[in-house]
Amino acid sequence: MTGRPTPTDPPESPGRRQFLEQAAGLGFSVLLAGSAGLNACQSSASIAHIKGGMIGANHQTGHLLRYPEKLPQPTQTRETDVLIVGGGIAGLSARRWLWQQGKRDVLLVELSGQLGGNSVGGQNTVSAYPWGAHYLPIPDPRNRELVDFLKECHAITGFDANALPVYNDYYLCHDPEERLFINGHWQEGLVPDVGISDDDRQQISRFFKLVEELKQAKGSDGRDAFAIPLDRSSTDIIYRQLDGISFETYLNQHQFTSPYLRWFLEYGCKDDYGTTLANTSAWAGLHYFASRKGVAANAGANSVLTWPEGNSFLVKQLEQQAQSAIESNKLVFGIQENAEGVRVTCYDVLKKETVAIQARTVLLATPQFITQNLLKNRVASGFQYAPWLVANLTVSVLPQSRGMPLCWDNVIYNSASVGYVTATHQHLNASDQKVITVYWPLVQEPPDVARRKAYETTYATWLSRLVAELETAHPGVTEYISAADCWVWGHGMIAPTPGFIWEESRRNAARSVNNKLFFAHSDLSGISIFEEAFYQGIRAATEILAQIPSA
Amino acid sequence: MSNPENRHRHLLLLLSVFVIATCGLIYELVAGTLASYLLGDSVTQFSTIIGVYLFSMGIGSWLSKYLDGNLLKWFIRIEILVGLVGGCSAPLLFVLFEYAASFRLVLYTLVSLTGILVGLEIPLLMRILENQLTFKDLVSRVFTFDYIGALLASLIFPLVLVPYLGLIRTSLFFGLLNIAVAGFLLHQFADTKPYRRSLVSILALSSLLLLSGFVYAERIMTYTENLTFQDKVIYSKSTSYQRIVLTANPRELRLFLNGNLQFSSADEYRYHEALVHPALQALPKANRVLVLGGGDGLAVREILKYPQIQSVTLVDLDAGMTDLFRQNDLLVKLNNRSLHSSKVRIINTDAYNFVRQDTARYDLIVVDFPDPSNYSIGKLYSTAFYRELNRLMRPGGLAVVQSTSPYIARQSFWCIRNTIAASGFQTIPYHAYIPSFGEWGYVLLLRNQHWRGDGPLPAGLRFINARTIHDMLNFPPDMAEVPTEINKLNNQVLVHYFEDDWTPYAH
Ligand SMILES: Cc1cc2nc3c(=O)[nH]c(=O)nc-3n(C[C@H](O)[C@H](O)[C@H](O)COP(=O)(O)OP(=O)(O)OC[C@H]3O[C@@H](n4cnc5c(N)ncnc54)[C@H](O)[C@@H]3O)c2cc1C
Repeated sequence: MTGRPTPTDPPESPGRRQFLEQAAGLGFSVLLAGSAGLNACQSSASIAHIKGGMIGANHQTGHLLRYPEKLPQPTQTRETDVLIVGGGIAGLSARRWLWQQGKRDVLLVELSGQLGGNSVGGQNTVSAYPWGAHYLPIPDPRNRELVDFLKECHAITGFDANALPVYNDYYLCHDPEERLFINGHWQEGLVPDVGISDDDRQQISRFFKLVEELKQAKGSDGRDAFAIPLDRSSTDIIYRQLDGISFETYLNQHQFTSPYLRWFLEYGCKDDYGTTLANTSAWAGLHYFASRKGVAANAGANSVLTWPEGNSFLVKQLEQQAQSAIESNKLVFGIQENAEGVRVTCYDVLKKETVAIQARTVLLATPQFITQNLLKNRVASGFQYAPWLVANLTVSVLPQSRGMPLCWDNVIYNSASVGYVTATHQHLNASDQKVITVYWPLVQEPPDVARRKAYETTYATWLSRLVAELETAHPGVTEYISAADCWVWGHGMIAPTPGFIWEESRRNAARSVNNKLFFAHSDLSGISIFEEAFYQGIRAATEILAQIPSA
Repeated sequence: MSNPENRHRHLLLLLSVFVIATCGLIYELVAGTLASYLLGDSVTQFSTIIGVYLFSMGIGSWLSKYLDGNLLKWFIRIEILVGLVGGCSAPLLFVLFEYAASFRLVLYTLVSLTGILVGLEIPLLMRILENQLTFKDLVSRVFTFDYIGALLASLIFPLVLVPYLGLIRTSLFFGLLNIAVAGFLLHQFADTKPYRRSLVSILALSSLLLLSGFVYAERIMTYTENLTFQDKVIYSKSTSYQRIVLTANPRELRLFLNGNLQFSSADEYRYHEALVHPALQALPKANRVLVLGGGDGLAVREILKYPQIQSVTLVDLDAGMTDLFRQNDLLVKLNNRSLHSSKVRIINTDAYNFVRQDTARYDLIVVDFPDPSNYSIGKLYSTAFYRELNRLMRPGGLAVVQSTSPYIARQSFWCIRNTIAASGFQTIPYHAYIPSFGEWGYVLLLRNQHWRGDGPLPAGLRFINARTIHDMLNFPPDMAEVPTEINKLNNQVLVHYFEDDWTPYAH
């Protein structure tokens, strides 16, 4: 089939067609239903056709930790050299590193049935989709460990004559990438552009000029002002003191007053950290922009890698790059140091029995709010976590007016969520059915209040909120949604609140105990991104290797 | 009994019989014509429409006994409804044809609705008149006027209405006539006074609606421009991927996908000969061919003209297409039973997925996809896609890509060429003139090999010979190469070029 339009028959614009479809549908239903049917569209009955429910009951398993004494006594004891607790990115990264360095007697236990932690994904008949992390920006080539890993994943397929990495076309985010619904219009890109004043425009370009300078900036120690992993950033006080103030204060000090610019920056904080301008440190707020130094032979500096299943693609790769043992559905609930090393009690969630594991070394790749429950006399002060709601919706049509068509990332200006990502975007075949993943950081209230409320909120309530949110940019979309599942992340992301990143408690929490207990998790970096979790795993694994004679 | 007042009254009512009978038949004719126009097979369409219509009239007549009370008021209300439903039927059906999931359901619902309403009219009128005439007079007069109206309708419909007004205006016009009857009765009969007001406003609104439809009929037609085929529709079907429509006139068959012309049987041989022979004449030892897209079997027909070809794998997304071209007699004749050949394997799946998973190797790959008018088709023209082709080609193998019009879509054409060149191929761009489309472009893909245009050609070609091949390589200045970016999955520049190129042609 060639499908060539003739000169009198222009290629059809999808916008117009969708509009017509809607108009025709509407006209007909009005005709049939008469005046009685008209007001029915908005009523709650109209979401009854949407199938789905709440997914991700991990917090319930996690709650078992509150009353460890209620769990059974161990029936057997096993041994391992290194025990890794937690199969998130950090734990898997440590396991891979140990394996590659020749350390084979390693066991990883994970409480959930599925590896990945905050990077898990799901799947339905239409597509695979993410439940949490969904993309990785192309890294600074100086991040050797990460570049090597991406090579092993075939995400980097080679290097060009200038030694620039060539990325796999299938994993680079396809065009069109981002759009913003603003002033009634879908514009290309996320930086507000439609209907903004000259002053706004000037402030926006002033901000991006500043970011460019900060990207290049180095401190007195010769290190980059902002680096990933962030521990490699300069210690120069000029930059580090920015951690002491909020991003909001910083913007005020620098006369960044444009509401459009501030919306964009707050969107960035919400999207990457689950925080607002007021409770994000200025250092972290700037890091989001100034640390991205990726280069590629075949992509721009701001390109990202993504997959329908999100970062669970990377989870699978990490898992496959090592062969040491993994056991899932295992909740670690007790940890005791002893003469031989560490004795760990572990509850098998499926078999409902407890095993004791005697390890020489234990790596806790768990978030600190859990780690502090597992260890005596440990308080993790300053560790605050942002709760999130994530929903995956199956839709056949996303009605919209003129403007940019559906992109990978779709954001609605001034709305509560941070928009949705199209999971089917990286598919190579065309299909009417799409899965979209809505990301919603719950920033309206302090984290603990928002978290409690989020757990109490029913599916029906979440669904009506989601539908209302989507309807603002896609009037009439509700009837085209066939399924929607929701997932509440009670402790979704570590919050880089002012002072948190460069004060002591974060670094103390990462320090090993008696050469027996080691720690790795993205929250130890103060920002939760793949690169930090990956780095924390390698850092902890390296510490372990330095302590024990290699096998 | 026959005082002048009453006489006047029943004459008026009989006049109404005449008008509504005409209207009633017109609606039936409009529906029948539209159905055969849009769905093809006029005998079936007409016969089922008439059947359903008459049956619905029966239902209407039966229902009439449940209407009691002020019969004149009922009658006027029904007139307005008939006017609205019947009047709007043609424009509605036109617009909904493309968008309704089940067009037949809509069609028959409208036909039944009109039928029921029309069926109510005569029994009601007879009951209104029953005390004013004797039964034999009543029956004889009502039916006389009824049948005269029908005769008039059946004569003016083909002779005057369709040629001069068109279907949409005809249906709207008769809707207005029904409403005029309602208005006329309302005006003439004093006993309508108590409810005159409320009905008059409804009446005004309905006429306004129909009138505006009448005025904007052209617009409605352009909305449904994809459907205004010049020729008779002989086949139409909505598959899960597209709407396939086949039209015929004495000279040619035309195939439309979603309203876009795919080929005309009068000159498709030019397109398909140009697609296949420049590559195959250079491959005397070729035996395995892959065709991507092209479910019409016309490229396969050309390929099978080379006896050395042992196998052709045809990958087309839409089983509806390949089935049609295996089953429809006219089309089977056109593709010379190519899809029935034992050498041909048909695979209905997405081409990109197929290409990524396939492990076979081919001497020739023929790529015949739709033009890159949206982002999902744009992926099939990317460097990533062409690299997959590279993997599937045997050493010494070739590929050819249909590459849109280098005249109309000059940037797009050269972007495709440049993208192929950036994916590790040498390229030979060429073009042919196809009257139904204009200048059309192709790109030949080679890998470090020699290509000549004077190889052996099968006998009986109508367009391609060594001279044509030679001429096709020349690009006059108005189609000459322009620099473009490379189309990659992460920039999709081709879709933008294509949009740019076609904008001047959009109305
Ligand atoms: C909604 C959302 C969106 C995100 N999007 C992105 C993104 O697009 N890109 C990005 O880079 N990052 C994103 N992130 C950040 C993401 O958290 C990190 O990329 C990364 O997954 C963190 O990995 P981790 O190993 O540090 O932690 P975790 O994922 O928290 O891993 C900890 C693991 O330990 C397990 N565990 C906990 N307690 C126990 C116990 N007692 N016994 C056994 N096992 C236990 C947990 O089940 C979990 O699997 C997102 C996060 C969220 C919440």
